[in-house]
Amino acid sequence: MNLAIQIVIGGLLQGAVFAVIALGFSLVFRVTGVLNLSQGAFCVVGALVMYTIEVSWGWPTPVAAVAASLATAAFGLALGALCFVPAVPRLPTSSMLILTAGLLTLLQGVLLIGWSSQPYALPPFSGEAPVVLWGVRVPTQGFWIAGITVAVVVAMWFVVQRTTLGTALRACAENRVAARLMGIDVPRMTLLSFGMAVLIAAISGIAVAPITSLEFDTGGFFTNFGFIAVAIGGLGSFLGSVAGGLFLGVAEQLAAGYVSSLFANALALALLLMVLLWRPNGLFGGGAVRRTDVRDEQRIYHAIVRVQGRGGLVFAAAAVALVLVLPLLFPSAGILSSLVITGILYISVLGLDVLMGYAGQVSLGQAGFMAIGGYTASILAVTYGVSPLWGTVAGIVLSVAAAWVLSFVTLRLRGHYLALATLAFGLLIDSLTVGMVDTTGGPSGLAGIPAFSVGSIVFASPIAMYYLVVGIIIVLVLALYGAMRSGFGRALIAVRTDQTAAVALGVNVVRYKLAAFLISAALGSLSGSLYAFYFHFLAPEMVATPRSFEMIAMLVAGGEGTLVGSALGVALLTLLPTVFQPFALYKTLAEGLLLVLCFMWLPEGIFGFATVQLARWLRRGAPPATAAEKAMP
Amino acid sequence: MLELTCVSTGYETANVIHDIDLTVAPGEIVALVGANGAGKSTLVKTISGLLALRAGTITLDGKRIDGLNARARVLAGVSLVPEGRQIFGGLTVLDNLRLGAYARRKDLDDARMKQRIDHVCERFPVLLQRLKEPAGNLSGGQQQMLAIARGLMAEPRILVLDEPSLGLAPVLVTEIFRLVASLRSEGRAILLSEQNARLSLAIADRGYVIENGRVTLAGTGKELLHNPEVAERYLGVGKGVNVADASHHQQMVDRLKEILAR
Ligand SMILES: Nc1ncnc2c1ncn2[C@@H]1O[C@H](COP(=O)(O)OP(=O)(O)OP(=O)(O)O)[C@@H](O)[C@H]1O
Ligand SMILES: [Mg+2]
Repeated sequence: MNLAIQIVIGGLLQGAVFAVIALGFSLVFRVTGVLNLSQGAFCVVGALVMYTIEVSWGWPTPVAAVAASLATAAFGLALGALCFVPAVPRLPTSSMLILTAGLLTLLQGVLLIGWSSQPYALPPFSGEAPVVLWGVRVPTQGFWIAGITVAVVVAMWFVVQRTTLGTALRACAENRVAARLMGIDVPRMTLLSFGMAVLIAAISGIAVAPITSLEFDTGGFFTNFGFIAVAIGGLGSFLGSVAGGLFLGVAEQLAAGYVSSLFANALALALLLMVLLWRPNGLFGGGAVRRTDVRDEQRIYHAIVRVQGRGGLVFAAAAVALVLVLPLLFPSAGILSSLVITGILYISVLGLDVLMGYAGQVSLGQAGFMAIGGYTASILAVTYGVSPLWGTVAGIVLSVAAAWVLSFVTLRLRGHYLALATLAFGLLIDSLTVGMVDTTGGPSGLAGIPAFSVGSIVFASPIAMYYLVVGIIIVLVLALYGAMRSGFGRALIAVRTDQTAAVALGVNVVRYKLAAFLISAALGSLSGSLYAFYFHFLAPEMVATPRSFEMIAMLVAGGEGTLVGSALGVALLTLLPTVFQPFALYKTLAEGLLLVLCFMWLPEGIFGFATVQLARWLRRGAPPATAAEKAMP
Repeated sequence: MLELTCVSTGYETANVIHDIDLTVAPGEIVALVGANGAGKSTLVKTISGLLALRAGTITLDGKRIDGLNARARVLAGVSLVPEGRQIFGGLTVLDNLRLGAYARRKDLDDARMKQRIDHVCERFPVLLQRLKEPAGNLSGGQQQMLAIARGLMAEPRILVLDEPSLGLAPVLVTEIFRLVASLRSEGRAILLSEQNARLSLAIADRGYVIENGRVTLAGTGKELLHNPEVAERYLGVGKGVNVADASHHQQMVDRLKEILAR
C-alpha cells in the first residue's frame, strides 16, 4: 500500500512538470494556433542556468532561482522576438511546427556547447532528508514542486481568465484581424505568450531538477511528454493540460513501478495513439480548432523554378558525373565514409520528401522506419543467418505493414494531430529498441552485422558500398521523378494545395496520402537496413527521434518538393562535421539554426535558391543576381 | 473631417484602389456603393490601418493618419466594424465590448467602463440581457449589433461600417439601417460601405460610387438615387427608365424613407 502511495506521489511530481509544459503548449497554442515544440528545452535551460548560478557561482538558492528564471525568460523572449514572432504570420501552422522543432534542436545545441553532455542534478532546495508522513517518505523537494506548480497554474489561470491582458490574449487566439482592429498589438501578444510559456517552463525545470538528472537533450523528453499530456488533456484547454500532465505522470510511474520502465513509455505512447484515434479533442474536453492537415500554402511552388529542357538535362548529367567521380576526388577514408552515409540518409530523406514536400503531410517519425528496417535486417542476419538482401526486403515489408497500421490513426487525423501521431510512433519505436534488450541488444546496440551482399557479391569496402548506394539512388530518383510528373504526382500536389478542392475534383485523397506514407516508410526502411550493413553495428540512438528531426532539417535546408535538392541538405549536415572536426560539437546547433534560418529566409531551400539563380542565368545569359534580391518573397 | 486624397492601394501583386478622393464631414453619413469586388472593403481596410497605403494621403481633422497603425487610428477616432462581423465568438459579449475600448483602457477605470457599456447598450438592449454569454451563441443579427456596439465602445469620431446588412433578414436589414441612421450624433460621422445601395443611399447625406477601384460618381444621396446609371446598375431599375420621373421608383424611395423614419 505504502509502495503504491509512494509511486503515485512520484507520478504526481513527475506529472507536475508535464502539466506545466502542457500548460505552456496550450497558452502558445491558444494565442497563435502553433504548437511550440521548443517548450521542453526551456525547462533544461532554466535548470542548467540555475546550476551555474547556484553551484558554480555559489549564489544563495532563492536568488539563484529568481535570476535563472528571469535570465531564461529574457533569453526566450529574445529568441521568440527573433524567430517565432516574425514567422507566425508568414508560415502555415504545420511549417511552424517544424520551425519550433528547429528551435528545440537549436536550444539543445546551445546547451551542448555551454554545458557539454554530462548529466546534472541540482541540490534540493531544503535539504536531502525526506519527510515521513503517515509512514510514507516524501522528499522535501516534492512540496516545493507541488507548491510551485499550483502557484504557476493559478497565476496563469488568473492572468488569462481574469485580466484585461488575458482577454486581449484570448482575443488574438479568436481572431487576429479583429484583435488588430481593437488596437491590440498582436505581435506583442504573441511574444508575450511565448515568453510566459518559457518562464513557467524554466520555473518548473528549476523545481524538478533536484529530483531528476538533466542533460542537454532532456528537453526533447520534456517536450514529448508535455506534448502527450496536452494531447490527452485537450489542446488549448488549461484545465485539461494540467489534468493530462498529472494523469500521464501517475500512469507512467505506476506502469514503471509494477511492470517495467520499457512498458511505461510504451504505455504512454499507446495511450496517446488511442486518445488520438478515439478522442482527438482530448479526454478532458478542450477545444482545439481543427485545422487542415496539409501545409496549405504555395510556399514552395511559387518559389521554385525548375530548370527546364536542355539546361536541366545538362545539369542532371553533370550532377551524376560529379557524384560518380567524387570518391576519386576525395580519397580520404573519412570523407568517403561520410559520402556513403550521405547517400544512405538521402534515401530516407527522399521518402520524407514524397510525404512532406509533395503530399504536404508532416512526419516526425521517419527514423522509426529506419529503425524497423535496420533492426529487422540485422537481427535476421545476425541471429538467423538470413541474407542481407532478404533481410532488407523483410524490413521493408514490416515497415510498410507498420505504416499501414499507423495510417489507421494518421489518415483520420488532421493538423497537429497527424504530426503528433508520427512523433508518438517514432518514440514508441525508440522505447522498443532500447527496451527489448534480448532482441535488439538494448542501449549497447547490436554488433557483428555482416556487410551487405547480393548473392555472392559482397559490398564490403566503403567504395563498393558507395557505388551500390549511388546506383540505388539513381534508380529511385528516376522512378520517383517519373511518378511525380505523372498523374500520381499531380494528385499529391492537389492534396497538398487544397485537400477539400482535391476531394471535390474526385481525387481519392485518402489513397494518395496512404501511398505517399507507404513510400516514405519503405525508403526509410531501406535506408535503415543499408545503414546497419554499412556500419556492421546498430544502436538505438543511430535511428532515434532526433534523427527524424535531423532529416527534416536536411530536407528543408536542401529544398522540399524537389527530390534531388535534399541531397544538398544531407551532404551539408553530414560532411561538415567530418571536414571540420571541431564542428562536430556544433552539429546540433547548426541543424537547428539551419532549419530556423531556412524556414525564415530561404523557404525554397538551397536547391530551390540555386535553381532560381541558375534559371535566371540561363534565361538572361547574365550572371546570377545577388542573394538579397531573392531573400524573401 | 476625414479626407482621402489620391489614395491608391492593393494586395501583394494586385493594385486594387486607384487615386481615390473622398471626404466625410462631421456628423455626416457617407455611403460607398459598388459591385462585388469593386474595392469597397479594401478602401475601408486602408482607412482603418489594416492595409498599407501605396500612394496618397489620409487625414483626420487635418492631421495625417496614414502612417499610423491600426491601434493609433483607433485612438485618433477611426473605428471599423469589419465585413462579416468578426466578433470574438469564444469570448463573452461583455469581453467583446470591453475589447472594443481596449485601445483606451488606460483612461477607463472599472466604473467608467461599466458606464460606457451601459451607455452604448442603451441602443442594444438585447446585448445587455446576454452579457455573460459567449458571443458565438448570439444570432447573426445580434452578432452584427454586437459588432457595431463594440465599434462604438472606442467612442470613434468616425465609425466605418463594412456591409452591416450582410446575410440578415429583410426585417433586420431595415432595423440595422435605422440604427445606423440614428448613430449620427454629437459630430460622429459614419462611412457606410454597402451592397444594399437603395437603403444606404436613402439614409446617406452623400454617396460615392466605386467601380474597379475608382470613384466614378459622387453626389448627395438623393442625386445618386435618382441617377439613371446608378438606378440601373445598383438599384435594379430597368434600362432606359427616366428615374427622376419614374413614379414606381419614387414611391419605393418614399416608402423606404418612411420606414426608416419610424
Ligand atoms: N487579401 C486579398 N489578397 C489579394 N486580393 C484581394 C484580397 N482581398 C481582396 N482582393 C481583391 O481586391 C479586389 C477588391 O476586393 P474588395 O474586398 O475590396 O471588394 P468589395 O468591393 O468589398 O466587394 P464585396 O462587395 O464583394 O465585399 C477584388 O478584386 C479582390 O479579388
Ligand atoms: Mg466587401
